[in-house]
Amino acid sequence: MNRKDLLGLKDVTADEITEILDTAVGFRAISERRIKKVPTLRGRTVVTFFMENSTRTRLSFDLAAKRLSADTLGFSASSSATKKGETLMDTARNIDAMKPDAIIIRHSAAGSPHMLAKAFPWSVLNAGDGINEHPSQALLDMLTMRDHLGDLSGKRVAIVGDVFHSRVARSNIFGLKTMGADVVVAGPGTMCPPQMAHLGVEVKHRIDEVVEGADVVMMLRIQRERLGAAMMSTVREYSRFYGLDLDRLRRASPDTLVMHPGPINRGVEMTPDVADGPQSVILEQVTNGVAVRMALLYLLLGGEPLGEDGA
Amino acid sequence: MPEQILLRGGRVVCPVSGADAVLDVHIADGLVAEVGANLGVSGAREIDCSGRIVAPGWTDLGAELCDPGLCYREDLTSGSEAGAAGGFTTVVASPKTEPVVDTPAVAADVVARSKEVPGARILQSGALTLGLRGESLAEVGLLVEAGCVALSDGRKAMANADILRRTLQYVHPFGVPVFLRPGEPSLEKDGVMHEGRASMHAGLRGIPAAAEEIGIARIVALVRATGARVHLSQVTTAAGLKRVQMAKSEGLPLTATVPARHLLLNDEEVEASVYNTSTRLLPPLRSEDDRKACIQALHDGVLDGVTADHVPWTRVAKELEYMHARKGANGLETALGATWAALEGDAQAVVRALAIGPAAVLGQEPRVTSGSVADLVVFEPAQDWTVTAPYKSRGGYDPLEGRALPAAVCLTVVAGRVVYGPRTGGA
Repeated sequence: MNRKDLLGLKDVTADEITEILDTAVGFRAISERRIKKVPTLRGRTVVTFFMENSTRTRLSFDLAAKRLSADTLGFSASSSATKKGETLMDTARNIDAMKPDAIIIRHSAAGSPHMLAKAFPWSVLNAGDGINEHPSQALLDMLTMRDHLGDLSGKRVAIVGDVFHSRVARSNIFGLKTMGADVVVAGPGTMCPPQMAHLGVEVKHRIDEVVEGADVVMMLRIQRERLGAAMMSTVREYSRFYGLDLDRLRRASPDTLVMHPGPINRGVEMTPDVADGPQSVILEQVTNGVAVRMALLYLLLGGEPLGEDGA
Repeated sequence: MPEQILLRGGRVVCPVSGADAVLDVHIADGLVAEVGANLGVSGAREIDCSGRIVAPGWTDLGAELCDPGLCYREDLTSGSEAGAAGGFTTVVASPKTEPVVDTPAVAADVVARSKEVPGARILQSGALTLGLRGESLAEVGLLVEAGCVALSDGRKAMANADILRRTLQYVHPFGVPVFLRPGEPSLEKDGVMHEGRASMHAGLRGIPAAAEEIGIARIVALVRATGARVHLSQVTTAAGLKRVQMAKSEGLPLTATVPARHLLLNDEEVEASVYNTSTRLLPPLRSEDDRKACIQALHDGVLDGVTADHVPWTRVAKELEYMHARKGANGLETALGATWAALEGDAQAVVRALAIGPAAVLGQEPRVTSGSVADLVVFEPAQDWTVTAPYKSRGGYDPLEGRALPAAVCLTVVAGRVVYGPRTGGA
């Protein structure tokens, strides 16, 4: 893969996605060892720059960098200079002056990673920008799917919930379409508006319609802050019409995978028996997250080739 | 006393008189003295205009010149020079200043200082409502007395229909036009670009075309109810244009302009430019269908002309995340190029769009005939130029930056005085 940055999956080719996933499989073994560290990125500096709250993604990236022996430093919204009125570009100029090799950025404004990527020489990894993209999440989702389903071409993936406001859904849509999968989305009209079809997906409004025949059902987190803005009525009504329970899941094949990017609202998007049931691969997603992020850092930063003791 | 000028051998395009021929134009005492073939004039500075178009100068109805109070963005001098560089001879300044032009004292100050500007003449638009807040009436009568030629709330769309109705009723007897940007603020508040295929792809929240259509429908209904003369400063959607067309065929006193850049760029530009904040505009760049509808509407007369939609910003406001960047961009220096390119060199249509239509909103009929005020532009249609900073404007952001545009302005003349182009010698 010959790129400086990973800003989204929109313009990433099928070959590149395959390369990333194959590389991640190689790195996965490292996390299973007693000594979970390889010297691949020794001496390189990776900055995690999280302007929005995150636990899972930040920990996952941090761990991925550390397992590759990179030096990491974290920077978050609460500690950041933006609170003191500094602009993103000025903050980035200051980080730049400390000579980092890569910056992993999460920001509430779509296009922020692109702005930094254009302006600075270091690699930028988008860890979520507004409602735009969250490519590493989609890659770990695709790795999890591939582990169970093999080739993704022709597979049917249903994404249910607030698809419109979900960068996870959007990156999955771009990536899955590139890999030849079919994507169907379902959710309330406010969260799955007709213009979603511009992304090349089927737009439905009933969960039963999309669960049937799906190889993967990906449930999205519902954000309670949407309640106020006429995006939805009540949590009760949401879970009645769009929540996944065992009865609904029976409409799918017993091999259908249940996924969720986390964190789950148990009893809202899905019932606990589904979340913890045999079809759920939610925690595998988390494990794969570290491997995919190791692969991304390795491929973008061009670390030492994987040797005998590499992976 | 301004010198005498002889514009030699240009193609004079004057839609009002109907002239479209290669002629000489003799300028003396601030007026067009004579228009004719092979004029023999002694003592005049002669400027070769062969291959160039000589036309009445452009009028813009709503540029943010930011003076007083926001002069780091623009002031009367730089705004006037930017206008002249773009071929504008008249620019109406928006009341969006600090303080807002909502008191006669502020209005009198800007009107007085506008008489001293070096480039395009500057007229002032007063505020419709106090602080442009859309809540209570400004002293509009006193503003008109102080010299304001129009009233507007700048780019602020008025949300409250009752206040809009009373405003139109109240303003009507004062005889000046009201400039309104049609929009529905509740539908515009979260969006940062046009809602559609491009916003879906860019991952940005959209402003639906319905916001403009609702704004226009509301204004049309209230124009019908009040008889007020309203100019829609920015109409950019096919659905909105249909409403304007219906209102005009009904005979309502409504006029409308489109930002010139919207004739050339569509919403794909946001992603194509990688979230370049120069494309962060209100109204936003629209779909390709909307863009084509705007061009058609200029040909059909549904739109009366174009506006530069000049909203200058500096890095402080634009070197930010896309959603946080301020809305608007430079326009005065690129309006001709954009219009000429979009109208594919239809000189009559271009002159109507930039000069005749907007001036008519102010009750003026600019022309190049003997005895008319010498507010003229000379430009070279065949000469491509690349839009590059620095600009005459203090604003540094134009979504057309880096593009080659046709039609370079050679000379701008205001009241017989060269305000842009070679001030002495040949052109």
